[in-house]
Amino acid sequence: MKHFRTLVCSTGMALAASAAVAGNPYEPYAGTTLVINFPTTPHYNAVMKILPEFTKETGIMVEVDQLQYLKMRERQTLELTKDVGDYDLIGYVVFSKADYVYADQLENLAKYFMNPKLADPKYDADDLIDGYVANIGIAGGEKGYLPGKTGSLFGLPFGSETSILGYRKDIFEKHGLKVPTTYDELLELACKIPQLEPGMGGLSSRAASGHHASHAFLLHLAPLGGRIFDDDWNPIMNNEAGVAAATALKKIVDCGPEGAQTFGFAEAGAAFLQGKTAMFLDSTQFAGQVNDPAKSAVVGKVGWAMHPAGVRQASQTGGFGIGIPANAQHKEAAFLLMQWLTSKKADKLIALEGGNPSRFSTHEDPDVNAKFSHMKLFGEALRHADPDWRPIIPVWGKINADLGTALSKVLTEDLDIQEALDGVAERTRATMEDAGYYIWQ
Amino acid sequence: MNTSLANRLTPYMFLAPAAAILLVALLYPLGYVFYAGFLNWNPSQRIGQAEFVGLRNYINLFHDESFRESFFVTLRFSAIVVSLEMFIGVGLAFLLDRNIRGMSALRTLFILPMMISPIVVGLMWRYMYHPTVGFFNRTLKSLGFEPMPWLLDGDWAFASVIIADVWQWVPFIFILSLAALQTLPQSVMEAARIDGANGWQSILYIKLPLMMPVLVITFLLRLIDSFKVLEVILVLTNGGPGLSTEVMALRIMRTATEFRELGVAAAMSNILLMMLLLLTVAMFLYNKATEMRAMRLKNIAAEEA
Repeated sequence: MKHFRTLVCSTGMALAASAAVAGNPYEPYAGTTLVINFPTTPHYNAVMKILPEFTKETGIMVEVDQLQYLKMRERQTLELTKDVGDYDLIGYVVFSKADYVYADQLENLAKYFMNPKLADPKYDADDLIDGYVANIGIAGGEKGYLPGKTGSLFGLPFGSETSILGYRKDIFEKHGLKVPTTYDELLELACKIPQLEPGMGGLSSRAASGHHASHAFLLHLAPLGGRIFDDDWNPIMNNEAGVAAATALKKIVDCGPEGAQTFGFAEAGAAFLQGKTAMFLDSTQFAGQVNDPAKSAVVGKVGWAMHPAGVRQASQTGGFGIGIPANAQHKEAAFLLMQWLTSKKADKLIALEGGNPSRFSTHEDPDVNAKFSHMKLFGEALRHADPDWRPIIPVWGKINADLGTALSKVLTEDLDIQEALDGVAERTRATMEDAGYYIWQ
Repeated sequence: MNTSLANRLTPYMFLAPAAAILLVALLYPLGYVFYAGFLNWNPSQRIGQAEFVGLRNYINLFHDESFRESFFVTLRFSAIVVSLEMFIGVGLAFLLDRNIRGMSALRTLFILPMMISPIVVGLMWRYMYHPTVGFFNRTLKSLGFEPMPWLLDGDWAFASVIIADVWQWVPFIFILSLAALQTLPQSVMEAARIDGANGWQSILYIKLPLMMPVLVITFLLRLIDSFKVLEVILVLTNGGPGLSTEVMALRIMRTATEFRELGVAAAMSNILLMMLLLLTVAMFLYNKATEMRAMRLKNIAAEEA
């Protein structure tokens, strides 16, 4: 577990003083030190490099507590229950939205965006990636966790990732293969490649018992037309689409590289980087590594394509957002930092350092594309990011684990798919009943 | 106050500070966990905000298939590893209880696995079990055998974590049994030799019974520890495939962090604690009974003489 504190502090004070002309919105907060909590992901590592720029521009100093993301979540859970918190701004993982908002631990951002002294009129919120604002930022609308007429904003997407297909250009060219755009093509190729290239797996997927297997299943569930719940919270992961998604997962793992049954995200990525599979279907977060010769044996050989469509085009929503804890000590300055980090200017700087941009315009930006040629395609993929990819409700952790365990049994012990998913549906119903979701029925 | 009362109270007064510390340091956390077992408690709440649900957590656990499975996985795991470790550890102690040149260096080597941090042990074995680049499968392949699905199949994964645990903890039993062996009174051994006992007989009828008190404690320590094993399995398999290696400690951890149900996690730890308490009490009762029997036999022998 990485845990390190970095003090990002520069000549801020002095510069801020000199910049203190009329109309500097940062002036009242110059000299404040913000304590923020970020995960250690490639995106946030890129953010660390541009934070000194913020201090230089505003005179607000920033101290960062960067933690591995699961560790970060534990720490935040403790921090947010205190009367006076130590963190002024937190990066939170998408499924924390349900817990934090429900426990009234995140600031509603309306009052900050309404404040003329704080809100930048040139912020251009429309440019933020829709699916992610819906997924990470807004709560209180449809189903409680999605936008809608009753919803409001609690955070901003920061480190948006979605699923994308990576493929080996050399292998595809060698055998005259077409890059798959539909699920039928994808599944056919996944099992054809091991025949064409003995010793090579078709597609790298995670499959380890628990969270990983469940995640891999969800990757296929949305495009194949499935959902975990219907509109009345009835579990429907065991319907036709659910069975199709689990069947697809099993096929992919069976035709995958050796040992694929126990792969987590890291192992699945490593198999692709070591040239043991011809395709990779998972988060865009992975893309930064393929052309790094220290980690990858496939430098320059990887092409990217959209997550293939089933009955609909629907890619993953995951990743992180940033929000202000209700017990923060410097909320207004934290808002300024949050607004600055997600502004067009900072978004571009972060992208150039290798982060995941939060805005459509950054994905289109010529400078960014000159450095990372896949960025335009990733922007396109993000337009299809499905905000309802997984239910963001407090009991999801438990359902997720159960689903992942049942699927692992399907993958390793040949448990019947329908039987496994029926079991999950039955247990999910009991969990939901306990949590009070059927009280109105 | 009269002097006799003061005299009688003195020892208690001296004990009081220790008792107070014990109360705070031991009973308070225990009471806390016991109480938490009756709560519907989410980590985003303070304990005071949690809803009191009586025995609901325990009743739910009783009906929870996954919990039952992990309960039996733990029982199976402990029974197998502790028996194997006792057998191998005590056996090794008998083998190495002799004066050969370099024996002390060898003994130190033997206890090395115990000193390695469990996370590292887990990682090390995980790489050795790796399906393609792992030591075991590469060796098997180079010898012309089929590779094994070490961590890929439920039963194999269970066997794999047992092997890793046995590797790590045999030295613990070994070192304690060896210490016990070396403190056995030489006079008894000599008497046995003079009476014509051969090697096996002296082990079975003299050494093992004399080592028994130490072995019982060793067994108990290992048993308690094996019920709480977490790190090695966490790193090796994280409970998978399916739930085949999900021991209770891992289930408790996942319940608290992944499912965010602190009350249920507390209820599970209470069940684990009860189980261990029962085992410990049973062990001590058995020990007491054998001691009593030995005492009785001794008395009878003394009377007969």
